[in-house]
Amino acid sequence: MASATKAATRPLLRASLSSSPANGHVAFIPQVRKVVIEYCDSWASSANTRTFVHNHLENVARANPHVEFVVKQRTHKEPIARGFYLNNRDKVVPLHGFEVNGIANKIQLILDSSGAKIKPLKRRTVESTTESARGIWSGLHVDEPFKI
Amino acid sequence: MGHAQRRLVSTAARLATSVHASNIKVFPPREALAGPSASSNTKTKTPSPTPSKPTFFSAETWAALQPPSTAALSTFIHRIGLATTVTSTDVIQQACTHPSYIPLFEHHNPKEPVPASNANLAALGNSLLGLFATEYVNATFPHLPTRVLKAAVSAYVGPTTCAHIATEMGAQPLLRWNRTPNTPTRPAVLHADAMASIPRALTAAVYQQHSLAAARKFVHRFFLSRDVDLRSMIKFRDPKLALRETVAKFGRERPVSRLLKETGRYSLTPVFVVGIYSGAEKLGEGFGSSLKMAEFRAAEDSLLRLYLTRQPPHLVQLPSSTFSSGVGDIFTAKGNAVGSYTPGTMADSEVLYGSSGKTGLRVPGARTRAVTEVEEGLEELQ
Repeated sequence: MASATKAATRPLLRASLSSSPANGHVAFIPQVRKVVIEYCDSWASSANTRTFVHNHLENVARANPHVEFVVKQRTHKEPIARGFYLNNRDKVVPLHGFEVNGIANKIQLILDSSGAKIKPLKRRTVESTTESARGIWSGLHVDEPFKI
Repeated sequence: MGHAQRRLVSTAARLATSVHASNIKVFPPREALAGPSASSNTKTKTPSPTPSKPTFFSAETWAALQPPSTAALSTFIHRIGLATTVTSTDVIQQACTHPSYIPLFEHHNPKEPVPASNANLAALGNSLLGLFATEYVNATFPHLPTRVLKAAVSAYVGPTTCAHIATEMGAQPLLRWNRTPNTPTRPAVLHADAMASIPRALTAAVYQQHSLAAARKFVHRFFLSRDVDLRSMIKFRDPKLALRETVAKFGRERPVSRLLKETGRYSLTPVFVVGIYSGAEKLGEGFGSSLKMAEFRAAEDSLLRLYLTRQPPHLVQLPSSTFSSGVGDIFTAKGNAVGSYTPGTMADSEVLYGSSGKTGLRVPGARTRAVTEVEEGLEELQ
C-alpha cells in the first residue's frame, strides 16, 4: 500500500517535454550551410578550380540559395573545398587532379551530404522510430498456440 | 568522439557567432592591440598622467557585437523556405536578436541606433504556437485527458522544442544575445531561452508579413510534424478503478476480466493473456507473468485505446480554417476561408480522480444520459 505522501506516478515536468525531429517528413531543412573553395592563384594544380570558379560557380550558387559560397586564397597549396553543416561538422574535399566537371561533382557531393560521419551500412539492421507494421509475432495469438 | 570533445565542439559552436571576414575592415581590431591609446571604446576612461590602467579586451564580447552577415541571414531565409514570404533580412535579424542583447549593445555603442529585439514578436509567436498546437492536438486526439493535452502542447511547442528547432534550422550563428544572471526582478537568460525565442519570433513574423493561414502552415511544417510520444504521458495510479469509473460514466456494463490464454502457469516463466470485456465487447487486452499483472495491463490498454483514438489526418478539421486565406492580419484580411469547419459532437469527458468536491455528480454522465433519453423517446414514438 503506497504512502499518502508519495505519488504513484512520476510527475511530468512540462518545460522539459520535447519532440523528436522529423526532417523531411513534411519540411526538409538542407543540412549544408556554407561551402568554402580555397585555391592558389599561381600554381597549375588549381587551374581547373580557377576555371570552375570563373565559369560555373555563380550558376551553382544561384541554384542553391540556401548555401553561402565563399572563395578564399590558399597560396602555394593544393585546392580544396570545405563544406560546413548544421551539425557543426565540416567536410574537406581535395580538388586537385580533377577536371572541371569532376570539381563540379565534388561540389555537388558536398552539397548533397548531411555532414554526418560516414557509417558502414552493411552490418546495420533496421532502425526506425515507428513500431513494426504487422506487429511482433506472438505464439499465443495464432490459431494453433505455439508449443516449444 | 568522447563526451568532453563533443561538449567542446558544441560550446565552440555556440560562442562562434557568424563573424564574416567580408564584414570586418580591420583585423585584428584596434581594441585588441596593446596600449591604452589603441583602444577607442569606453573600456578606459580619460587618459591620466599616472600609469594608465590595463585595458581588457574580450574576444567573445567583440565577436558578439559584430554585425551579422547579410549572406548568412539570406541563406537562413531560404533554408527554412520563407524566401517568398519574408523578403527582407531586417525582419530575420530582428527575430534573431534577443532583448538581453540591447543593454550590451547600448553599453558598447552608445551613439548608434538601438537594434530592434524580438521581445514582442516572440510573445505574439508564443500565443500563435499555443493556438495552433492546441487546436491540432484536440482535433487529432479528441478524447485525450486535459492534463495530457496540455503536456502534449508543451511537447510540441514548448521551450525545449523551440530551442531544438532553432538549432536544427541553423539559427545558432545568427543569434544575438547576452547571458544574464538571475536577478530578483527577472529570471536568468540562458542559451536555450535565447534560442527558443527565435522560432516564436519567426512565426509572428510570418503572420505579420503574410497571414494567419501562412503562419499556421509554417507551424504545421516545423513544429507539428515532429514526433511526440503521447503514450508515455498517460499514466494511471489505478487503471482498473479508472476503467470502472469511465465505463460507468459512459453508461456501459461494468468491466469483467477474462483469462484468454495462458502458458507455463507453474513454471519460471508463465505468460497470461487477459481480456477486459464490457458485456460482449472487448475493451482491451494485456499480457503478464502473473494474473494481476496481465489484468493491470489489460485495463491500461483499454483506457489507452479510448484516450488515444486518433482522427485520420485527412479528416482533421481545425477551427482556424474559418479565417480567410488572404494577405493581412485576421481583422483586415479578405477572401474565402481556408477550409470548412464543423465542430465535433460533445460527449462525456474524462473521469476525474478524487473529485469528492463535486456534489451532484451522477453516473452515467449527463451527455450519455441525454443521448439515451433521446433514443428512448424515439423508441416510445415508434
